[in-house]
Amino acid sequence: MRVAERTRPDGGKAAAVTAGTSLPSTTQAGGRRRRSVNREGLEAGKRSTRTLLWILLAAAMVLYGFPFLYLLFTSFKTPIDTIAVPPTILPKEWTLENYANALGRNGVLASFINSAQTAVISTVLSLVLAVPAAYGITRYKTPSGRVFIMAALVTRMVPPVAIGIPLATMMASVGLADTPIALSIAHTTISLPLSIWLMSSFFEAVPRDLEEAATVDGCSRLGALWRVVIPVVSGGIAVTAIFAFLASWNEFLFALLMTAIRSQTTPVVIANFQTQFGLDWGSMTALAAVYSIPVILLTLLLQRKIVAGMTLGAVKG
Amino acid sequence: MRISDRRFALFLMTPAALFLAVFVAYPLFRLVADSFFKISPIAGGPRDFVGLENYFRAFASEAFMGAGWRTLAYTAVVVTLEFALGLGMALLFTTLGRKSQVWRTVFMYPLMIAPIVAGLLWKFLMIDNFGLIGTVLHQAGILSNPNQIGWLSDPDIVLFSVAIPDIWLTTSFMCLVLFAGLQNIPGDLIEAARLDGARAPALLFRIILPLLRPVIAVALVVRGIDAARAFDTILIQTNGGPQSASETMSLLIYRTMIRFGDPGLASAMGTIYLLAMLGVAFFAVATIWRPGKDN
Repeated sequence: MRVAERTRPDGGKAAAVTAGTSLPSTTQAGGRRRRSVNREGLEAGKRSTRTLLWILLAAAMVLYGFPFLYLLFTSFKTPIDTIAVPPTILPKEWTLENYANALGRNGVLASFINSAQTAVISTVLSLVLAVPAAYGITRYKTPSGRVFIMAALVTRMVPPVAIGIPLATMMASVGLADTPIALSIAHTTISLPLSIWLMSSFFEAVPRDLEEAATVDGCSRLGALWRVVIPVVSGGIAVTAIFAFLASWNEFLFALLMTAIRSQTTPVVIANFQTQFGLDWGSMTALAAVYSIPVILLTLLLQRKIVAGMTLGAVKG
Repeated sequence: MRISDRRFALFLMTPAALFLAVFVAYPLFRLVADSFFKISPIAGGPRDFVGLENYFRAFASEAFMGAGWRTLAYTAVVVTLEFALGLGMALLFTTLGRKSQVWRTVFMYPLMIAPIVAGLLWKFLMIDNFGLIGTVLHQAGILSNPNQIGWLSDPDIVLFSVAIPDIWLTTSFMCLVLFAGLQNIPGDLIEAARLDGARAPALLFRIILPLLRPVIAVALVVRGIDAARAFDTILIQTNGGPQSASETMSLLIYRTMIRFGDPGLASAMGTIYLLAMLGVAFFAVATIWRPGKDN
């Protein structure tokens, strides 16, 4: 029954992530047939054309990848070389001084813990709320469900700056000012609509017979959801979790409005380097690198699932 | 059976609905309510009902109207460039086929980077004196001096410069979505057109783009709404300056609230901004998305 691992290399449609070998799905078969024809259809045929295209791709990749490499190189320069005129691309002398400076600063390590704590709480909260809601919406297709998913999508359009201050006031009035809990709740307002949307697409791909069989076997509806449906969409839940985690890990505006000393996350600390300590570019680049690399590596590890998650809503349309 | 199914569905949705009601709808209600008051920024200070005065002040203020136009211009630039670049890359990956898969993954990496880090990084590349871009253009003989273009200090171009990190961050998203859409175009259509002697431009404009239309629409709407809310990248690059030349709506509201200590006016601005965004959102959801519909 565990079929969620079978993602397609080209990260295409929603069905690809959750629907498995044993599940009858006509669209999937159709998609595969079209896809293989398509390869011949749009792929460049002539050798000279292909060589030219590869050169074009190489150029694009260098241009696109360079900025982050430059950030990395800069983080290994000596603090003085960091702002040398004219700048050099590679460090004249490789050193970890910037890293030592950045990580040794008061509050930096604590901010990493805060970021991780906030992101984990927000991810769990998002999933606990979104999974049943999305299931209720897609499985029963009631009018209230339709209204609800529309409303959830509309909340995604709300500019954070519009609700940040009232939200901060609310948290303060219940004694949660400057805590990871308050910030993770704020972050969940961003990730919950997205999670409901993603999970709905994943549940859509699960055939109804599955839990009908389970209920006939004496499972309650809740039991069928927990024991039969959730294991089938575990791949989808993983994708949703990654998105919720990233949304919180990288968020800045709520963090700026709602945290002070105790619960400050790293993006706020990075931004504060600019004013508090003058323009310490070396430490800023080092801290930015340390903060970004874990999530970039995570992406490379789980890339197929993430690509599928990112594209599914749009392509399914 | 029918009714109890409904109840069960409602039961599943209630926690999420309550959460959104308490933490999104209620703060929004507070925002709208505050917009009718003149509020002292000091906690516990006076709070006087002033009716629509904050709205009149918003529309009469040059800063607000300016920020509105800048937000539109910023969004248009970001979305247009992202679309052109993303489509180019998606076509490139499609024409190169399976062998380019590894590079497609690598191309995705900026999506994982915090906007605040991206803004910082590009500020570092474009900054006067030790910015790499000016230096490289100077060494290539394009600029007569490395500081000839004040990317982030010239009010005429700063709005476009601050858009660069945003474009860099999310062109990958555009490319991924369009790439997935391209995979669903029936190959026999392309074959048939080729046999009829269609060349690449005709293929692109007559067949590929029309077939991609729904995917393009969703991608543009999603990114358009995000770009219209841009805050982090601009704040860290210029803080809205110089001379408010890069101050978009999010920044203006933030500054009105925090720096100028005028929560009433900021709430009125926020309400107008929100209504404009919701207008777009409703239009988009109703015409394009229709999630959860019966197929």
